[in-house]
Amino acid sequence: MQDILFYVFAGLVLICGFLVVANPFSRSPVTSAMFLVLTIISLAGLFVLLHAFFLAAVQILVYAGAVMVLFLFVIMLLDLKVEDRRRLKVFSIVTGLGASGAILFMFMRHLLHAPLVGQSATLSEGATIPLGHLLFENYLLPFEVVSVLLLVAMVGVVLLSKKELK
Amino acid sequence: MNYLDFFATLLPETTLVLTALAVLLVDAAGLRELKTAHRILGASLVSLLGCALSVAFVCMGHGSSYLLDGILINDPLTRLIKVAILIPGMFTCLLTPGSRLRAHPGEYFCILLLAMTGLLLLVSSENLLVIFLSLELASMCLYILAAFNTTDARSIEAGLKYFLFGGISAAFTLFGFSLIYGLTGSIDLRPIAGALGQSTDPLLMVAVVMVIAGFGFKIAAVPFHLWAPDVYEAAPLSSAAFIASGSKVASFYVLARVVITGLGGTTGVPGSQWMTLLAILAGSSMVLGNLAALTQTSVRRLLAFSAVANAGYMLIGVLAPGSGGLPALAYYLILYSITAIGAFGVVALVEARAGHDRLDAFSGLCRNSPVTAFCLMVFLLSLAGIPPLGGFFAKFYLFAAALRASPGDPLILSLVVLAIASSAVSLYYYLRVLKEVYVRPVAGAEPAPIPDLPVIGLFILAIAVILLGSFPQWLVHAVESAQAASSF
Repeated sequence: MQDILFYVFAGLVLICGFLVVANPFSRSPVTSAMFLVLTIISLAGLFVLLHAFFLAAVQILVYAGAVMVLFLFVIMLLDLKVEDRRRLKVFSIVTGLGASGAILFMFMRHLLHAPLVGQSATLSEGATIPLGHLLFENYLLPFEVVSVLLLVAMVGVVLLSKKELK
Repeated sequence: MNYLDFFATLLPETTLVLTALAVLLVDAAGLRELKTAHRILGASLVSLLGCALSVAFVCMGHGSSYLLDGILINDPLTRLIKVAILIPGMFTCLLTPGSRLRAHPGEYFCILLLAMTGLLLLVSSENLLVIFLSLELASMCLYILAAFNTTDARSIEAGLKYFLFGGISAAFTLFGFSLIYGLTGSIDLRPIAGALGQSTDPLLMVAVVMVIAGFGFKIAAVPFHLWAPDVYEAAPLSSAAFIASGSKVASFYVLARVVITGLGGTTGVPGSQWMTLLAILAGSSMVLGNLAALTQTSVRRLLAFSAVANAGYMLIGVLAPGSGGLPALAYYLILYSITAIGAFGVVALVEARAGHDRLDAFSGLCRNSPVTAFCLMVFLLSLAGIPPLGGFFAKFYLFAAALRASPGDPLILSLVVLAIASSAVSLYYYLRVLKEVYVRPVAGAEPAPIPDLPVIGLFILAIAVILLGSFPQWLVHAVESAQAASSF
């Protein structure tokens, strides 16, 4: 059952992720945003399968909820037009397919030949308490670095997008 | 975990973050009413103070500590490299008043200090997560610094180019890291090295290619160097100077750490090709960097291609097996960052006077300001590797260390030969600049005189380059004993 669900969710993530950036049926930004919501919800499903219930809930609340609403607001405020269909260049198709084919080939070779060396990480129940312990003990430094990173992003956005008053 | 140890180790970084916030506050609260030039000066002094405090805290550190399985490392070599990042940072603060910033000095210094924080964290961790995050922190700051003059279309273009290249290369790095995690089940470099053993897994090769592509962007090695000339040319001068010096030191050090500590076990194992990969990057950087520099008319672009070529030389230090090339690499990095920031300092003075950085802006410099001309000569000849300047000994030490660490290795030998040949080529374009300075008469009207105060700073740097070249044993001893006392 778990395996089937994994494949369902993983397949959904891949298909929806593809449709966000390269939807053959529609070039409307709103459609892309809607597929992004679907991608995020399927990712949340994968988190549930990993017993990370808190992360799954946060993923849906924050990303699918708050962030996506903002995205849609911005798209609608900017009144983006449906993009023109771009002609795909043969060169970019060939190189793109070649590179992804090569990586896929390496993956398959690895999966078929080598035994999996990575031992499965200790499965901790994804409740808030163990997560908090991880964040504020082992991973305190990365956590703080992220907070500084967000500060930089904030200052930078205000700075670069501000109109200069003369 | 002992939070007190943790905090004590992070004191330099914490100081920088607090100073960054303080600069914002001081600028917004106290300096808002003043003229822009005075605001820049005030903010620059506050940041300098913060950097000096941070250097003091780094120097006060002692012993080696290895907190949380390598999330945070504090050892003598790391401290040395941290000082080598902070000192160019301080000179960048000094350069900023001459860089024609139009507005928002508080934000500029805030972002600059946070970039330094990111670089300091970058060199003090063996954890892939922290490495990636601090790399992003530093890069994000540098993108903003490059695009800072929002009224100048060229500065925006430079920032955008840097950002797009950087974003893609960050994605590559992250993909590579995630593959390494998938292969080994760990994100700490030492367990990774243990789990990889002598593995020659093809998937590891994919991971290594991705990681090296990501770092190759940061160190501006061919073929990931395309952003460098544009950013060096069009970004505000102090931003370009910091990208060329402090950021370079940190990126090289962390590349060496990831490659040597994480993948070192697979050195020389047939089928593990990462050394060949780095060698190709090194060789093409030296050749292409030096050849492209020959035709440049903008001195900043010339310095950019010279940086690409120098990245090629420094990669030889990373390639020397084990950590044999490491002290030499550290010496080269320190020397290179001092020289690069000095050269940018002279360009700043000339640009402030002439309004552009083309070669003819430099003509007759020796008659206007002999000291500035002398400083420029020291920096450029040191970059070219002329004895008795620091750059000569840095190259000599690096090549000798690489050859000694791998006797009879055709790969290293051919790279060293190529490096020596191409640094002979590089002499030509450095001399082209010096010819303008010393031989050509002043073009057009007599230009405005050069202010004295910045020249003193440059003179100190030039003296440092001469002394480090004439008495290299000081720094060599410091670097070697630091490495002996470190776990790297």
